[in-house]
Amino acid sequence: MKKSLYETDEAIIEGIRRSDERALAHLYKLYFPMISHFILSNSGTDDEAKDIYQEGVIVFYEKIKDNSLELSCQIKTYLYSVCRRLWLKRLAEKGRFATKLDDSESFIPVDEETQHHEEQERQFGVMGDALAQLGEPCRSLIEDYYIRTQSMQDITAKFGYTNTDTAKNQKYKCLQRLKKIFFTTYKPEV
Amino acid sequence: MLEYRAYDEIERYLNGKMASEEKAAFEALLHHDARLTEQVEEHRQLLHTMKKYGQRQQLRQQLNSIHSQMVATEPLAASPNGWKIFWGKHRQTMAVAASVSLLSVFGTLWSVQQLKAPVRQQTAHYVELRREVERLKKTQTAIINGINDASKPATPRPAAFSGTGFAISSDGYLVTSSHVVEGADSIMVENKAGLKYKVSEVYRDEIHDLSILKVTEDNFEGFGKLPYTFKVSESDLGERVFTLGYPREDIVFGEGSLSSSTGFEGDTTSYQISIPLNPGNSGGPLLDDKGNLIGVISGKQAGQEGAAFAIKSAYLLQLIDELPGAGKVDPLTLPKNNTLSTQTRPQQLKKLKEYVFVVKVYN
Repeated sequence: MKKSLYETDEAIIEGIRRSDERALAHLYKLYFPMISHFILSNSGTDDEAKDIYQEGVIVFYEKIKDNSLELSCQIKTYLYSVCRRLWLKRLAEKGRFATKLDDSESFIPVDEETQHHEEQERQFGVMGDALAQLGEPCRSLIEDYYIRTQSMQDITAKFGYTNTDTAKNQKYKCLQRLKKIFFTTYKPEV
Repeated sequence: MLEYRAYDEIERYLNGKMASEEKAAFEALLHHDARLTEQVEEHRQLLHTMKKYGQRQQLRQQLNSIHSQMVATEPLAASPNGWKIFWGKHRQTMAVAASVSLLSVFGTLWSVQQLKAPVRQQTAHYVELRREVERLKKTQTAIINGINDASKPATPRPAAFSGTGFAISSDGYLVTSSHVVEGADSIMVENKAGLKYKVSEVYRDEIHDLSILKVTEDNFEGFGKLPYTFKVSESDLGERVFTLGYPREDIVFGEGSLSSSTGFEGDTTSYQISIPLNPGNSGGPLLDDKGNLIGVISGKQAGQEGAAFAIKSAYLLQLIDELPGAGKVDPLTLPKNNTLSTQTRPQQLKKLKEYVFVVKVYN
């Protein structure tokens, strides 16, 4: 593990932009103890800490990938703020009132990010459900083509269709169904 | 009905794989066909979400693998024991529970204490019947002042305490309870007829709670012949007894019977009598039906009805005998004849009240 490579925030961000898996791993390990401590000392469990932390990292990671992050503070502070916000929401959902959080770090307001993230989460939840509802082999077919971007020829071979046209026809029917399921449950928030 | 070829076209358009002429034609078609536009938009959103969903899933997997790798390399990294988590989760609840239980424990202790307090008060408690004039005056004048502010009389300073006393010899000796004249600067006595004398304490017996007073005025000519005598022997239970005293500004008669030959907590020097008494009665004479003086009123038991106490006359006589021995005064000439024995009660009282005084104590 070449730690020295990612000593600064800039180096980590650069690494993530380059899709360097080690940069992400380094970042993940660097700040997990902080968030874990925060969640555990505010009536959370290990699993919840892992959950919240991963959400936070995802928010950060995707922002970097989108190039839409204007980081005005340290990554540490940013992650802490996002996780803090997410944990507050989680606590409210659980009906537990955290009148006073035990803060060990300073934080910045990140309402926009978390809101966007939640909207996405909702969207992905619906998508996951829709895919699950689709059933086999439709699901694999769709996932292989659109998500794993395999070629139509490979798919034809894998699923044992006589020719690509049959596969395409099948794919078209599946997509039609998926579309119907997805848009009946998912309404973008106004 | 859209053919799957149309889907294919839309996808190719969205992925930017159309040749420029084809693209232009498709865009022209889009421009006219609102339904197609909608379809394309929907399709775009679906594909976009799906793609993002795929990426997200992948990212999650990646993070999970990082996490499990991290946990594997340092298993003791950050997992506080079960108690710590439990404490973290239920800290507030436990704090509330603890304070409630503490509160109830101390609350119970306190209220038990409160319940006990009146019980403790019921144990015997002796009250000396000296009257605190000042306090009564204050509350009364407050009322009067409220009614009529202008007619406030310029009275001399009122006495601080008052009690009752009576003559024991015609040449100016009186007796009262020693707690009445305790801490006195000057003492005045006054009877129902309005005769006022300045007196001083010449002898005191704290044990029996008796004080002998003597009129100190120069032009004093004597009380005249006393109508009662002092009984030497002890009186019997159930004998009818009465007293005169000054529990308020006027003389008050009280009657009852001798209910016990011992006083407070078995005190053999006093009687228990069933006469209702009030502060100010202290030092008053206790007489039997025949007009013999059998005791001196001294106090009552707090919270107990009809349990008043009077010092037996035998001890008064003993005190009078001691007087010359103390070297302060000449031997007293006690009254020898009882002129009350055959008279009715009102007649007895008419005579007696000349010799019963209110003792005013100034300090």
